Order: sequence, then C-alpha cells, then structure tokens
Amino acid sequence: MASKIAALWAKLRKPSVKYSLMGLLSAGFFSGVFFWGGFNTAMDATNTMDFCISCHEMNDNVYQEYKKTIHYTNRTGVRAVCSDCHVPKDWTHKMIRKIQASKEVWGKITGVIDTPVKFEAHRLEMAEREWARMKATDSRECRNCHNFESMDTEKQKLRGAKMHKIAQDEKQTCIDCHKGIAHQKPKGMKEDDE
Amino acid sequence: MKKTTVSMLVLGSLMALGSQMAVAAPDWNKVPKRDINVFHPGVTPTEWVGKKSDHSGTAGLKKGETCVGCHEEKGTLNFNFKRLADKELEPKGAPKTMMYPVGVQAAYDASNLYIRLTFKAPAGGADKSDKENEVKAAVMFPDAKVPQASQVGCWASCHADARTMPGADDKKTKYTKEGSYELMQWKSAKGAKVVDGSVTTERKMDGGALGAKAEGAKAGDTYTVTFTRKNPGEGKTVPFGIAIHGDNSTGRFHHVSLGYTLGLGADGDLKATKQ
Repeated sequence: MASKIAALWAKLRKPSVKYSLMGLLSAGFFSGVFFWGGFNTAMDATNTMDFCISCHEMNDNVYQEYKKTIHYTNRTGVRAVCSDCHVPKDWTHKMIRKIQASKEVWGKITGVIDTPVKFEAHRLEMAEREWARMKATDSRECRNCHNFESMDTEKQKLRGAKMHKIAQDEKQTCIDCHKGIAHQKPKGMKEDDE
Repeated sequence: MKKTTVSMLVLGSLMALGSQMAVAAPDWNKVPKRDINVFHPGVTPTEWVGKKSDHSGTAGLKKGETCVGCHEEKGTLNFNFKRLADKELEPKGAPKTMMYPVGVQAAYDASNLYIRLTFKAPAGGADKSDKENEVKAAVMFPDAKVPQASQVGCWASCHADARTMPGADDKKTKYTKEGSYELMQWKSAKGAKVVDGSVTTERKMDGGALGAKAEGAKAGDTYTVTFTRKNPGEGKTVPFGIAIHGDNSTGRFHHVSLGYTLGLGADGDLKATKQ
C-alpha cells in the first residue's frame, strides 16, 4: 500500500512528457474557475430564502411568523431574507457558519423539529443559540444594514429614540433589545436574555 | 331699629359666606385645560412593564425615565395599539376606542384642591359587568414610598394576580408592595357614594384621608366630573393618574392615563391655578 502511494507520488512529481506546460496550466486554470465558481454558486444557492423554506420545518414555522414582520414587507420595499440575518456576509465567517450548519442537515435527517410541537419544544434552545451568536459578534448581521452612526434618532418615535441613546451610552448591541422581531419570542426566556 | 340692624348683620354675614363659597368653587373658564389621553392598557400590569422581554422600555424605567417621557408624543400616545388590542395582551376583547382624551383642569385654595375632568366616554367596550354605573371616573395619588411613584403613576398598584386579570383570584384587588395611594372615584349611578379610599396591601373604597367630594353630570355625550379634595400643600408636586371606566365596564377594562404630576405653585406636567 505504502509503495503504491509512493509510486503515485513519484508519478505526480515527474514532469509530463505528453502535455505541454501551457496545456496543463490552462486545464488547471479552467478547472479552478469551474470548481471555485461552482462552489460559490452552491454557497449562494444555500443562502436564498427559497432554499431555506424548501424544508417544511422552516416553511411552516419561522417563515410564517417572519412574513408578518417588517423585515418581510415594509414601506421602502427592502427585504431582509433569512441569510441576511443568519449567515455572515464575509467569506471566512460565512464558511464557518456553513460548516456549523451541516449539523442542521443531520437535524433534518433525524427529524428533531419536524412537527410544530417538536419545533416549539426546541424554540427556546434554538433562539438562545442564535442570540448568543449575534451578541458575540456585536450583532454583525444587523449592522450590515443598521448602525448607530447613520441613525437619526430625531426621526424615530420618542420611545425608540430614548432607548437608542441609552443603548449607545451603555454600549449595548442590537440583539440586547431586539429579540423576537422576525419570529415569535420563545416561552420561558431567561431573565438574562430579556 | 335694633332688630333691623341685627337682621341686616345676619343677612350681611350670610351674603359674605355665600360669596366666599362662590369664591371657593373655581371659575373653570379661567383655569387652563390640558388634554391627557387615557387608553385601554390590556393585560400590562407592573410585572409586564418591568420585564424586558415584554417591554423593552424597562431599561429606561430603571434609569429613571417616566412612562410619559417615552410614550407621550405630539399630543398623543405612541403605543403600538395593534399589539395592545391583540389577543395576547387583551384576551377578552379590546374596546373599539383604544384611546381618547380627557380634559383636565386643576385649581386650589387654602383648604382644597379641585380637579375637573371633561370627557366623552365612548361605547364599544368588551366588558359590561357594572350594571349600575355607566361611567366611573377615578384619580389616584401615589405617595413617595410607592416604587417609581413619579414615573409610573398608577402602575405600581396594577398586578397580574389582581381581579379581572386572566386567571387571577376574583377577590384580590389592586395593591402596592410599598407605600400607598390615595384614591377618589365618582360613579354615575344616581345617589352613588363618592369613593374616598386608599390602596395599600389592598384597595379600600372608604376610610380615605382625602376628604373627597365629587360632582358629575352628563351634558349631551360629555361628562364633567369635578373632584374636591384636601389641599396636599402649597409648593408641592403631586404625582397622579386617572382612570375612566366607560360603557359599564369594571376592573381592568378601564381607560387609564400614564403617570402625570400636578404642581401646586410648583413644577408639574399640569399646574393647578391658585384661587
């Protein structure tokens, strides 16, 4: 076995006598483009709302709740889809999140949340995990669209304006207050999470 | 002659007394009126107000912000009334009119504080349990020991386990964990006694220290209720809240104001006119 690997390795290291260097480089370049493009296309495909709600677990529960919120329809016509909030935009963090999400495939196969009752039973745990992720990144995904620097509190309702001033003074992050804005709040939230 | 002098004197003193009484009742045309909005609060007791997952303004309250400071805006209240009328916060059914204004005037003299409320109590309520009174109007005054007295008005007395709250004991009244409220209430039923009561560990509808009197009348669809109570003291700023039970409602099915302050020769959301 070891001798076979050594032979293959030697073959790979040996210069080609059959193919030109240009041919080899071109083949390498185009297959690189093909694989890289394919990889990113697949990445993008898994970032669409259609992909997310192709599972009935998402379609029947969180999607129905989200459809009633301002992140789905609003006066300006800007929509934030699932991945805008739940998947980081930059490549490194996106990859890490996607790898973590592979666990969700296992969850799908084993049917952890495949009924509304099961979903409710896991809602708090799932929400807490997502809140912790958002808190740890200073609500990075929220801040892709919203940030204090471009926020004119004068144009907000008084109740929001005052709370945003307090939040800035205390260096709070979006998710500290804005829980349950796109999905129902889970029952039994801990005092720390409130 | 002597008799005439005596009767003149008697008449004179009677007239003087009469005119004094006339002075005692304020000329309401000369007292500024401020509209205070009352609204149907649903099931939002003090426990709800103090829980961040229910009420994100909890952080503001902890920092000393008042309810009015965040929620009164451009002459109205900026609540999410859809949320207040929704089943979660109003399981029995929301009234057709969630908010309406009450004209509030206040005046005082050496002995009394007078408060006049003018309002149209709209029909369309979900609870009509009070068969005797179409309308009841109340004013409460928290003392300084009531938690967040000057911030939350009546809310410190409103609890999730009090009567008419979902699943609550029908005999448990409003109460406060610390301090006390003075309470006065006018009822529209003929001959109904004016309530001069208090709220401590329970609500008492008599035995109060306000010396409260009240007169109310309905003209067209407008109610005018005038309260008289003991003057709390010149130079004082008194926190207060208003509750109107309209359309034969009872318990929590009232329209309430947030907590406001009344200044007697002092600062306040509303200033009482000195007579």
